[in-house]
Amino acid sequence: MERLAKAFTLLCLLSAAALAHHSFGAEYDGKRPVSISGVVTKIEWSNPHVYLTVDASDPAGKVTTMMVEGHPPNILRRTGWTREVLKVNDHVSITGWASKDGSERMAGREVTLPDGKKLFLGPPAE
Amino acid sequence: MKILHTCILVLAAATAHGQTLPRSFDGKPDLSGIWQAFGVALFGETGELRPGQGTKSNWGPPVGPAPYRKELESRVAELAADNRKDPNVRCKMAGVPRITGSVVPLEIVQTPKKVAILYESGHAFRSIPVDGKPHPAELDPSYMGHSTGRWDGDTFVVDVTGFNNITWLPGAGHFHSEALHVVERYTLQPDSTIYYEATMEDPEVFTKPWAYRLILRHPPRDERIMESDCTENNQDLEHIVPAH
Repeated sequence: MERLAKAFTLLCLLSAAALAHHSFGAEYDGKRPVSISGVVTKIEWSNPHVYLTVDASDPAGKVTTMMVEGHPPNILRRTGWTREVLKVNDHVSITGWASKDGSERMAGREVTLPDGKKLFLGPPAE
Repeated sequence: MKILHTCILVLAAATAHGQTLPRSFDGKPDLSGIWQAFGVALFGETGELRPGQGTKSNWGPPVGPAPYRKELESRVAELAADNRKDPNVRCKMAGVPRITGSVVPLEIVQTPKKVAILYESGHAFRSIPVDGKPHPAELDPSYMGHSTGRWDGDTFVVDVTGFNNITWLPGAGHFHSEALHVVERYTLQPDSTIYYEATMEDPEVFTKPWAYRLILRHPPRDERIMESDCTENNQDLEHIVPAH
């Protein structure tokens, strides 16, 4: 009962949280940072999240198809993105966090574009 | 030259005392424009500022924990532990006052007889008559409720009722009943911010009223409310992992 009361108090304290589409911790593990590098094969410029599909190569040459979640388009536009910033077949590096369900998906935090420019893709880990 | 010097001093004093509060042609504080409480567009990706932190003001965040009746606390915890239960994840309109804390902007369009609030979040809007008429006796429950507005001095006060029981209040798992009654107060400040306070009463779930406070700011860029259809590619329900 005491545990429940403590959990409830914590939830109440979290009530100041801003309204985002979903809680970061519901899908991603902020303690498991991920860095990938590879070729963009698909761009979904969509709501409520933008998704980049990337064929990521590890140092041994193994390729993993990773789906990277980012902010919705309106928020990305307000931080410097346009649809023209990134194209299919571009080589990018992306940092972020692994999914909790073990699927090959990640929350994207920052993208390094082919020209070396860095742009934020998604929110920080909670 | 002496007159000019006096004018400068008087103008400076007037500004310092906030007498330059922007006003509409009818003399009321002018709330028109694009406003936002949270989010990247407002504070940037790094060094994010939260209302009440790092500012001169102590306005916001919520005033104390949500005062749920004891027997309902376990349900709040249960809902909060499974993000799939959040109506926002299902692309529902966020309701009042939760929508005011969205990470995307809202626009207030003010006239003497009607105030409209347009929300980027969920295509939601509110048309608020400022005519002193009470709510209709019978209302169909809705996500954004039924609003009536009035001016209390320089504060715009909106009384909202007629809610459905689908939306949440600010915070995780904060469900409510159709008996929810919200009173919002929008007070324009001399520094071009709005102190926003929503007082929520719901005798079916709360033991006493609960207040939620935000500072609304103008985003730094010339913003417009943009379209955002949450349902077009919502994959989150398949990937959320409940906490329990």
